[in-house]
Amino acid sequence: MKVPRTTDGRLGGNGYGLAACLLAAVLAAAPGGLMAQAFKTTTGHAEFTSSVPLHTFTGTSERLNGRIDLAVGTVDFYLDLETLDTGIGKRDKDMRKTLDTASFPFAEFVGQLESPIDPASRARQAVRVRGTFTIHGVAREIVVEGSITPGASSLRLEAAWELLLADYDIVPPSLLFVKVDQVQKVALNALLTPETP
Amino acid sequence: MSLRLAFRFTYLIVLLFATANASAQMPRERAVAGGPVEELFWAPTVISTASVTNLPRGNANFTIMHSFGPVSGGAGQLWGLDGAANIRFGLDYGITDRFSVGIGRSRLEKVVDFRTKVNLLRQTTDGRMPVEVAVKGDLGITTEENGFEFPDRLSSLVSVMVARRMSDKVSIQVTPMFSHFNAVVAQGGVVPEGNHYAVGLAGRYVISERVAILAEFVPVLGDRTEGTRDNLALGIDLETGGHVFQLFVATSHWLTEQHAIARNTGDFFDSDFRLGFNVNRVFGVAR
Repeated sequence: MKVPRTTDGRLGGNGYGLAACLLAAVLAAAPGGLMAQAFKTTTGHAEFTSSVPLHTFTGTSERLNGRIDLAVGTVDFYLDLETLDTGIGKRDKDMRKTLDTASFPFAEFVGQLESPIDPASRARQAVRVRGTFTIHGVAREIVVEGSITPGASSLRLEAAWELLLADYDIVPPSLLFVKVDQVQKVALNALLTPETP
Repeated sequence: MSLRLAFRFTYLIVLLFATANASAQMPRERAVAGGPVEELFWAPTVISTASVTNLPRGNANFTIMHSFGPVSGGAGQLWGLDGAANIRFGLDYGITDRFSVGIGRSRLEKVVDFRTKVNLLRQTTDGRMPVEVAVKGDLGITTEENGFEFPDRLSSLVSVMVARRMSDKVSIQVTPMFSHFNAVVAQGGVVPEGNHYAVGLAGRYVISERVAILAEFVPVLGDRTEGTRDNLALGIDLETGGHVFQLFVATSHWLTEQHAIARNTGDFFDSDFRLGFNVNRVFGVAR
């Protein structure tokens, strides 16, 4: 294609037109293209497993909110901690007291994918995300390993890590003479679908 | 404008767009805004009367209620601990978060009681609903052999609990009650009343995360059986995770409300009260 230029090599009148067209095309295409790579959920599964001698229990929630933007590699997840259900109402209340959910209602993770994901592949792809996990008002940088499996129009995210309560100034209640383990296993499993504007 | 400059400009726009996306976080939204106020009372009973606290769906609460003899027996009776105790074993189950059913059995007159509690209104954290309202029904059957026909062994209670958690520390409850006995027997020339109306007044003050003090007073309104007294009880709640222990002193030996209203003869201010305790243990049966 011939690009019209002035004698000093700069773009001529039609050249400006071409630049404007190029920019317009990028602006028109880029948001659509990038948005198409943003996936979201409000119904992800989150769980933690707590070990007490002779008594291990799991708290679960199906209200995990999350967004992954493959175009820029951002990951943003949060959970309303009051949606966690351990199966015993009294224990749920104790948990909410311990986490002080009235003051700090959310656990959240905001991070960046350390390696790109191929959305065209249907294979399960290992991912490593570095970011900030916040709970109980304390934020710490962590690295989470997991997997993303692209579907026809979705992403399946699975991730797990261990959380040390003391790192987040969480003092677990002692149940009579039994102490709750400092290490809590956290796991996420969510199906994310394309974000609609 | 050179071609290179045009491409750089375009690249800059794309980069700006991407950066804006990268920094965009989802707005944090609560799953349930203005949810119910929790733990107006730690246990489903204040001391001997029911509290508005109900069992969550799928949870069971096993209760042991124990009321010793009167402390007026003195050291010789170890202040009532040597006396005959009334004991009630009970099991309640949450069908939904607002509806529970239960069964219990007391030693005195071998009363078996079936009960249910429904929370009609829930106090909410955003103040839309300022009070918690629950209704309780209890049907007692005296199973001790007394020569009565089955219908004459029945007693019942209906109560409406209106409670409010005033602050992190203070909860109060007002409970209009009606108790009914299908049959009453004259004793010593006294003909008992079959129906009693009462208003339960209860309060809790939280001392620490695990300890609270309780008070309960149930004055009878209108006609009442001669010689009976209003039940008064003071107690301590000890919350230990899965258990709530309640240690108390109370005038009534009875552990079902219809009996405590209609048949209590203890006078608190005449040392006519007794020591007792309740143990509540919650189990998760279904999720």
